[in-house]
Amino acid sequence: MSVRLRIIRAAPSSTVQDAGRFGALQHGVGASGPMDREAFENAGALLQAASTAGIEFTRAGLDVVVEGDGTTRAAFAGGDFLLRINGRPTPWGAAASLQRDDRLEVTPGPAGNYGYVRFDHEIDVPMVMGSRATSLVAGLGGLKGRALAAGDILPLKAAGAGTGPAHTGPSPSASDAPIRFVWGIHAELFTPGLRQAFAEKQFRVSDRLDRMGVRLVDESLVFAGRPILSLVSDAIVAGDIQILGDGTPIVLMRDHQPTGGYPRIATVISADLDRFAQMRPGARLAFEPVTLHKARFLYLASRAR
Amino acid sequence: MADAGLPLPLIVPLGDAGLLVRFATTLSDAANRRAIAFARLLRRDLPFGVSEIDPNLVSVLLKYDPQMIDFDRLAGEVRLLLGSGTAADEADEATEYAIAVEFGGAVGPDLAEAAAATGLDVDSFVKAHNAGPLRVLTTGFAPGFVYCGFHPEALQVPRRTEVRRSVPAGSVLFAAGQTAITSTTIPTGWHVIGRTAFRNFDADAAPPTQLREGDAVRFEVVR
Repeated sequence: MSVRLRIIRAAPSSTVQDAGRFGALQHGVGASGPMDREAFENAGALLQAASTAGIEFTRAGLDVVVEGDGTTRAAFAGGDFLLRINGRPTPWGAAASLQRDDRLEVTPGPAGNYGYVRFDHEIDVPMVMGSRATSLVAGLGGLKGRALAAGDILPLKAAGAGTGPAHTGPSPSASDAPIRFVWGIHAELFTPGLRQAFAEKQFRVSDRLDRMGVRLVDESLVFAGRPILSLVSDAIVAGDIQILGDGTPIVLMRDHQPTGGYPRIATVISADLDRFAQMRPGARLAFEPVTLHKARFLYLASRAR
Repeated sequence: MADAGLPLPLIVPLGDAGLLVRFATTLSDAANRRAIAFARLLRRDLPFGVSEIDPNLVSVLLKYDPQMIDFDRLAGEVRLLLGSGTAADEADEATEYAIAVEFGGAVGPDLAEAAAATGLDVDSFVKAHNAGPLRVLTTGFAPGFVYCGFHPEALQVPRRTEVRRSVPAGSVLFAAGQTAITSTTIPTGWHVIGRTAFRNFDADAAPPTQLREGDAVRFEVVR
């Protein structure tokens, strides 16, 4: 027998994730993976040898009881949540050894939408197309292709080749700094005036956000009343900012569909997408254009941290 | 890969880890064939730093690792490949599939409407729909979802104005001169004209999809 986790409570859309399911776009399946990749990696870096998969929970947190025999170490990162282990307040971003009857309670904290718990044991769900990541949009991977729910059991098993300690630098703290982007594949379909307004005006994160995408409130009506463009369906990447027919901007996230036909004005740079994912409904943000060279520089810098 | 009918493809960034080779900005048979051929060429000779090749209707996405290569260098490699003239012979690799479809009734609620839009009665429409083999244009949008085309001009029908929130796996969809087959439950604005027992997607199979872009698909009435 080995350790298993019994889910007492899981916030909506909490899922099993690993780094992602790469190489499946040609089959119509996107990569999924953690909404905040760096936080996911940081949780792994707190362990001697993290397994590949972990649990991503959303704002309302997670409540888990450990069952079975043996011990496992768990580590937490992402956003800023409140953590209790067996009722004892425990600092967020800590690691702890767990055994039978131990209880982990994660409740909403001051910041962030996504938190992670990772283990030095593998979460024993089937590999689907080379990954344990849950794709909620495709309904595959993780635990039966769906979000975790009360009563679920996640067995843990000895980890195979772990990821090992990754970089251990601090996460970039939540900030009001603009979300940087490179112009999108349809940017030239928007007038120069509209592009300028997009880069100058403020937007607000709406309460309609999930792993597929984050709808923004366009308070300055930058995109209101623009004609619907009919485009040939084309490849999507995480971070693409598409404008719906009614003028609503959506930032497409890790569970995006592989292709789409709405115009995309911009793509959030890789170095800023984790920070954007953690912005809560109501948060105001501005977008700032950067060159592809700068985007790459910022990405390399974030990987070297 | 010269094609007198098309301008030179555009090589554009898609985010900071994607390069998109666009053969056209509107859908055409020629651009789709070029995208498929170029994707095959890339798969045979994967450029350094590229992790994934994904052909779309009229473009090919190359996902790359910015730690290994930058966009400009990769774009140079791609330009060389585009000019190399070693297009894959698609006839070599195309497989023909027969897809049996139950048209109309409860499983094809929009058949009559689609037929009417073409000015044909239902039987003539089904016959015309099944007349020639179509090509798999691409897999995308959802797991195993394939776009097949192209129908002749007379069968061009726009999408429905309303979106159905959910159609089951195996739904046969019709719009924009194409027929699509769903492999999972999805929302759609296309006309639902029938259903097939054929399932293009099985996450546990290797590879998980059967149809490949460029394959020939012949639709027939289920016996």
